[in-house]
Amino acid sequence: MTSQATASTTSANGAQTSTANMIQLEGIEKVYRTDRIETVALSDINLSVRAGEFISIMGPSGSGKSTLLNVIGLLDVPTGGKVSVNSKPVTSYGDKHLARVRNEEIGFVFQTFHLINDLSVVDNVEIPLLYRKGLSGAERRKLALRALDRVGLHARVHHFPSQLSGGQQQRVAIARAIVGNPRILLADEPTGNLDSQMGDEIMGVLKGLNDDGATIVMVTHDPRQSEKTERIVRLFDGRQVS
Amino acid sequence: MIKHLLKLVWNRKRINFLITVEIFFSFLVVFAVLVFAVYYTDNYRQPLGFNYENVWSVTLDMKSASTPGSRESDKQQQFATIKNMLAGLREFSEVESAAGIWGIPYWSGDWTGDREINGKGKDFEIGFNEATDEVKDVLGLNIVRGRWFGKEDDGATNYRPVVINQLMARTFFGDEDPIGKDISNPKDKERVEQRVIGVVDDFRKGGEFSAKRGYVFHRNDLASEKVSPPRSLIIKVRPGVTAAFEEKILARLQAEARDWSFDIKPLAQMREANFQEYLVPMAAFGLIAGFLLIMVGLGLTGVLWQSVTQRTKEIGLRRAKGATRRRIYRQILGELFIITTIGLLAGVLVVVQFPLLNFMGFANSRVYAISAAISLALVYLLTTICGLYPSRLATRVQPAEALHYE
Amino acid sequence: MLKNYLKIAFKVFLRRKFFTFISLFAISFTLVVLMVAVSFLDHVFGAQPPETKLDRTIGVFHLQMKSPDDNNTWSSPGGYKFFDRYARNLPGVEIMSLLTDTFDGGKVYSYLDGNKIESYLKHTDGEFWRIMEFTFLEGGPFTSDDEKNANFVAVINEATRKKFFDGQSALGRTLEVDGQRFRVVGVVANVPYLRTIPFADIWVPISTMKTQAYKNQLLGGFNALFLARSKADFPMIKEEFQSRLKQVEFDDPKEYNRMIGYAETLFEFMSRPLTNSRQEEPAKVGRALATIFIIMILFMLLPAINLVNINISRIMERASEIGVRKAFGASSWTLVGQFIVENVLLSLIGGAIGFVLSRFVLRAITESGFFPYADFQLNYRVFLYGLAVAVFFGLMSGVYPAWKMSRLHPADALKGVAR
Ligand SMILES: Nc1ncnc2c1ncn2[C@@H]1O[C@H](COP(=O)(O)OP(=O)(O)O)[C@@H](O)[C@H]1O
Ligand SMILES: [Mg+2]
Repeated sequence: MTSQATASTTSANGAQTSTANMIQLEGIEKVYRTDRIETVALSDINLSVRAGEFISIMGPSGSGKSTLLNVIGLLDVPTGGKVSVNSKPVTSYGDKHLARVRNEEIGFVFQTFHLINDLSVVDNVEIPLLYRKGLSGAERRKLALRALDRVGLHARVHHFPSQLSGGQQQRVAIARAIVGNPRILLADEPTGNLDSQMGDEIMGVLKGLNDDGATIVMVTHDPRQSEKTERIVRLFDGRQVS
Repeated sequence: MIKHLLKLVWNRKRINFLITVEIFFSFLVVFAVLVFAVYYTDNYRQPLGFNYENVWSVTLDMKSASTPGSRESDKQQQFATIKNMLAGLREFSEVESAAGIWGIPYWSGDWTGDREINGKGKDFEIGFNEATDEVKDVLGLNIVRGRWFGKEDDGATNYRPVVINQLMARTFFGDEDPIGKDISNPKDKERVEQRVIGVVDDFRKGGEFSAKRGYVFHRNDLASEKVSPPRSLIIKVRPGVTAAFEEKILARLQAEARDWSFDIKPLAQMREANFQEYLVPMAAFGLIAGFLLIMVGLGLTGVLWQSVTQRTKEIGLRRAKGATRRRIYRQILGELFIITTIGLLAGVLVVVQFPLLNFMGFANSRVYAISAAISLALVYLLTTICGLYPSRLATRVQPAEALHYE
Repeated sequence: MLKNYLKIAFKVFLRRKFFTFISLFAISFTLVVLMVAVSFLDHVFGAQPPETKLDRTIGVFHLQMKSPDDNNTWSSPGGYKFFDRYARNLPGVEIMSLLTDTFDGGKVYSYLDGNKIESYLKHTDGEFWRIMEFTFLEGGPFTSDDEKNANFVAVINEATRKKFFDGQSALGRTLEVDGQRFRVVGVVANVPYLRTIPFADIWVPISTMKTQAYKNQLLGGFNALFLARSKADFPMIKEEFQSRLKQVEFDDPKEYNRMIGYAETLFEFMSRPLTNSRQEEPAKVGRALATIFIIMILFMLLPAINLVNINISRIMERASEIGVRKAFGASSWTLVGQFIVENVLLSLIGGAIGFVLSRFVLRAITESGFFPYADFQLNYRVFLYGLAVAVFFGLMSGVYPAWKMSRLHPADALKGVAR
């Protein structure tokens, strides 16, 4: 299934060799255990995503899409299998090391935005930069404003999340995901809570980022949106079906 | 419904446990303060048994070894001096009457004992006093049976006349007529008959906040070997007499005994000091308890508020499935009610041990019951008030918000 | 990084005003009550002028005589004769002083231009002024010779000078109290009413008492103070005092033939009611201290639980925030650091408010005049202890759950799984 598309991304940061796998999953398994029930959320997932690729993950609700994305984004540890991000064997990393990879390599966009309501838009966007050494406050502010600019939200920087519409909130979330200039962007149903026009706008933003060289993995169950991506991975009951 | 609520409470047991503990301790604090408050209020509403208005006390300092071991001639000398003083005081037109007494009302000194007669009166505390014949007039004692001391008692040589209070009469003699009965202590080796000649209202020397107890007045005739010189004189002055009169009294007394010292004070003033002694600590503890409750109330509101916010999805779902606002309101308050009840049950379980362990033994079970009831009501009220805003908040959750949280 | 933490912390406080208010209220209120209680104890028992040598001072404040059959007890402050004859020259004692109990018949009256003036009078000796370190505003103490020769001299306090002499210099002038005239030889600063040993308005020699009957009394009206060479001599002094009690010759051994009493510190004496220890047995200081300590702990329990509750709520509320921060690269330790800063900062602000409020409350109590001549001072050392406790609880209650939460996988934290 990985035979198609011999890597022809218009890589802006040309240092990236096109053959390298940005994300590599081998035999991933995730089982949730509670007192009574055992849920197999993922079983035997093998997936490679090349640098600069834009893929989408589809499947019915409860099929394990979010779980898979969380595993890729190092937000959750699989119960079995190996994860590599940018050729780094992150499965064996400790908390501090993982935090660093999440900070530098990955940007996450959640379906429910997960903005911090206590912080203003620009403060929210600055969050990833807070955990990066050697940046002054002024530099952080500059980068955050630039990221907001890219998602078309320069006018609302001092608002609080509750004062924004859903589409605007999602754009803030995207700005936050890209502010640290990560090579991987993971988006969990970024358009799920938005109407189709708003969804198209967000899709446009993602596409632009992909054109600038970002590797994007997007969960969606909207076929209209997944059609715009290079490749579709389908899940059913925790298994990869295509 | 109840079962459903219990399940909800159980599923959130960790945070609910802490709230329960907090309610438990709040109950104990409120209870402890209330036991005192109820006890004192209870006492305050009882009749006092004497009248303090326009009564002045003069405490005598005879500057000598006026002790049980002092010589008899000294004592007779003192009796004579005191008789002269009383006579002198009565000459003033400002004075209605004057008397000698061992312990003046509101004075913190006390003379107590107990005795068992015919199997009655075990663990029953009795206060004693020694009073001259005029004490009845000065303190306005109310005789409910028999009579007060008088000249006719001078002839009593083989017995000592006593006047007791109603509680004492009821405790030892029930419905029987106490007049003529002997209340001397059967355990005394050299026992002299103490014959009841009268019964007064429930006299309480300790003042409005002190507990009712048995009381016995002995007669002080300012003559016999059996009695000592009174510690104080008490004077009933006419209404409108001012403090300037004190100096006149002092001069008159000093003329009788140059080397004695005198402490003149209106009973009303002693009463005020006595009130302060009870009320100031009470107010301080009440204030602290009040602040503690406010703090607990605020904390509880915060916790409930947060829990409603956190459960927006659950609440929205219930709304989506057709639960009315009223129902949501009742559900949140119902949960709180269950948690409160658990904490209070634990508190009551602890509190019922108090009478058994004789902890705070001054209060009787009626006081305990009232205090416990008020504390329960107060804590329920507090938690309800704390729950009102958060549960109102919960009713404002729109069904759509359930979806919003995926 | 710290600057960042502080900035975020302040932002959180401002956005979560209600929680911030409750936390501050709990912390500062608890501190205020603790401070007032401790100041009160310090005011009554702490070493402060004139009782600067309190750590070396021991006294006899109460005695009891028992009848042969034990049925009669006569209990009272000790008598002059007893102390004079049996308590002098105890080994290890540098100075011994006798003084009347101000609260036992020490209230006296003067009439000045038709106005009644109430004062507390204490009879004492020359040694008293050597055990105590009074602040003299003018003149000086009376001496042992004054006491020996029954000179009618008096030391008065500032308030008395104001009442009798309108605040003018009182040296050499006379005042009449309780029908006796005294010449003022010294004026001292007011001593608080609650300092029960030195307190009085007017101090005069014992020998100026109206009668000399006190010289024949075993019991009645007097306290004895002993200034020991060092605290280490206390056990020896106590022991010797017990053996002296056995030497007492009674006026009428058929009536009373046994004397019971203890040489003890003021705290030991005052703590008796707290431990229900009767006058017949030695005071139980350990138990008294334990009782005070337990009462304080019990009192702090409710605020502590409250604080824990609030903090846990706060953290739960911020579960998703923790998830987000982790997702964007915060390590567990970074997050814990944030919560430590937040909680310590909150405790410190609460402490500062508590500090200001405590001073305010203590000032109000001082100025209420309820305790004459009182000057309630904030005890800084205890304040710091209290603050440390507040910070400790803040950390325990705020950081422990935060630490646990930060250990969660971000995916779980985001779902708010932690319950
Ligand atoms: N924390 C959890 N505990 C137990 N089961 C879980 C947990 N998170 C997800 N699951 C289960 O794992 C499966 C996959 O969930 P998810 O990845 O969220 O599905 P989706 O494809 O809708 O995003 C579901 O059956 C879900 O119930
Ligand atoms: Mg999902």
